[in-house]
Amino acid sequence: MNFKLIKTALRNISRNMRRSVLSAVAIGVASMSIVIMFSFITGMKDDMSNNLKTFYTGEVRIRNARFEEFERYNPMHLTVDWNAAKKVLQENEAVRSFVPRTTFPSSLYIEGTNFGAIGVGADFAMEREFQDFDSILKAGRVPAAGKNEMLMGVVLARDLDLGIGDRVTVLATTAARGSNAVTLEIVGLAAFPVGSLNSKYFWLPHDVVQYFLRMDGGVQEVLVTLKEGVNASDAAASIESALYTETSMEHDVRVWTDISTTYGFLKVAQMIYNIMAGLFFILGSSVIINTTMMVIFERMREIGTLSAMGMKGREITRMFFLEGLFISAVGSAIGVCIGILITVYLGRIGIDFTDAMSGMDFEISSILYPRLNIGTTVFVYVYSLTIASIATLIPSRKASKIEPVEALRYI
Amino acid sequence: MIRKIRILSTLLLVLLLPSALFALTGEDIVRKADEMQTFDTAVSSGELRIKDRFGLKVSTFNAWSRGADESLIEFTSIAERGQKILRTEEELYLFYPDAEELIRMQGSALRQGMLGSDISYEDMTGGKDRLSKYSIELQGDEAVQGRDCYVVFMTANTRTVPYQKQKIWIDKKSFLVLKGEYYTKSGRLLKEMETLETREYAGREVAIRTRISDKMKKDSETLMIIDELEIDVPIDEDKFSLEELSW
Repeated sequence: MNFKLIKTALRNISRNMRRSVLSAVAIGVASMSIVIMFSFITGMKDDMSNNLKTFYTGEVRIRNARFEEFERYNPMHLTVDWNAAKKVLQENEAVRSFVPRTTFPSSLYIEGTNFGAIGVGADFAMEREFQDFDSILKAGRVPAAGKNEMLMGVVLARDLDLGIGDRVTVLATTAARGSNAVTLEIVGLAAFPVGSLNSKYFWLPHDVVQYFLRMDGGVQEVLVTLKEGVNASDAAASIESALYTETSMEHDVRVWTDISTTYGFLKVAQMIYNIMAGLFFILGSSVIINTTMMVIFERMREIGTLSAMGMKGREITRMFFLEGLFISAVGSAIGVCIGILITVYLGRIGIDFTDAMSGMDFEISSILYPRLNIGTTVFVYVYSLTIASIATLIPSRKASKIEPVEALRYI
Repeated sequence: MIRKIRILSTLLLVLLLPSALFALTGEDIVRKADEMQTFDTAVSSGELRIKDRFGLKVSTFNAWSRGADESLIEFTSIAERGQKILRTEEELYLFYPDAEELIRMQGSALRQGMLGSDISYEDMTGGKDRLSKYSIELQGDEAVQGRDCYVVFMTANTRTVPYQKQKIWIDKKSFLVLKGEYYTKSGRLLKEMETLETREYAGREVAIRTRISDKMKKDSETLMIIDELEIDVPIDEDKFSLEELSW
């Protein structure tokens, strides 16, 4: 490439600094917004995947094959044989850890009134592999195995005006399709990252739930985490096959990404964000096209002189393209850098959506931490540079086609 | 001639008067049916055979009752052993062995099926004092299971009853309700009841196999079977008290 052309392009940029800065700012704002947007959605996806795997599905979830079909009828009797599942999972080399869970709708009977809540039966010793209860404990301790004790979400406790040491009678439908009630003492209050876990859930020991809900050795589901590098679909298939051999019963063994509809929504959201990013660039590009076209009209005399002096149309196009490219490079770089700084800052302090998300039943934490993805950030820079540069081609080509005589008429 | 007509008229009047005087109204029939099914005291044992989309479940129970308003049911089957339901004149309470307090059923909780059956807790409270809560219309006669029955249609005049409309078939001889259909105010069928087998106790016919079907549930029906029944036997005064319930 002609070095003189580069020099001319750079000189032209500095000749009208205000115009060049305006174009660079337009590209910079678009790049910055997209970096922040992508970081936000990456943070949201990470958060959701972590919450889903920790609290709801594991990496692989095992359920009775008929459970989902009848889920709306609360089929507590459609269980997984816990001992068989334990044996199969202990023998499977892909499995890192697993926990039994039994989630059941219930009524908390308090001073003559029933309040709806969701109970979760969990083995707190095994749960240590899954979640750090100690870090989310706001007061008290986790329930002890075999004791009629519960750990309650802080918002639920606040709403019901309950605290450590209070005793609550829980009513629920049993696996025998009857009803039962048990009185539990609140021994701990936990602040879960997910809003609904705080406002609707209480946790009690696995063995207490087994007795209370007449589970007869069954659990509603088993959540599994896998070793690093293991293919989750293959692991799920091998667990399903081993369970069938062990119990002669079909099981619903699924990878977590195939379970949650919210995660599916997030994938759609990411697609929408990509489209929005494109629109941002089109907006930014339109500013570049506009300013470049203005430049061409302003610099008609110069174009005419250059053409009259023998500069070819292709060289004129290239010169204007280079101007656009340099402005885009600087604008995108500054925009991406500001975007990175804002993301790093927000990634540290988090964005609090507690009020906005109150009452929403999503598996997303109420405080979100945007997370920078290097690959995506580099892509945003290259993408914005390419789009903005290509956008200059339209007016540049127009400039190259102007005849010297026509250009000199503007003098 | 005129004299003959007068004599004939008098004779007809004398012949027809008793039937007109003694014809039962709808209210009379319902009152009589309630009286025939109410015992000073009764002790029974039996089972609930609950069939739903998931299969058959059997729960056994012992029951005590006094008059129309007091009853106590204690479940004896393994899954529910020790659970009790106490109905007093005003309230319905549940006792669970592992719960420290008695649960008073009220509001929407009363609409739940007892042990997942087609019999709601509300059904247990709704049978009393039907005459004051319903307008009763005798719709005619119909045969049910080959037995001649009165067909009575009842429309609630209060909102505090489980069913706004009821159509019941009452056996003319025993005044036992052989069949019942229970509707919403708009006429949607909620539940059906049918007496399948009866037995005579102390000169009164009592249903010992009754089928109840909740039409809001798919493939669901409950068979209530009374295996043993003793009538007018002494029952402790405290049997229907809250203190006794907790024991």
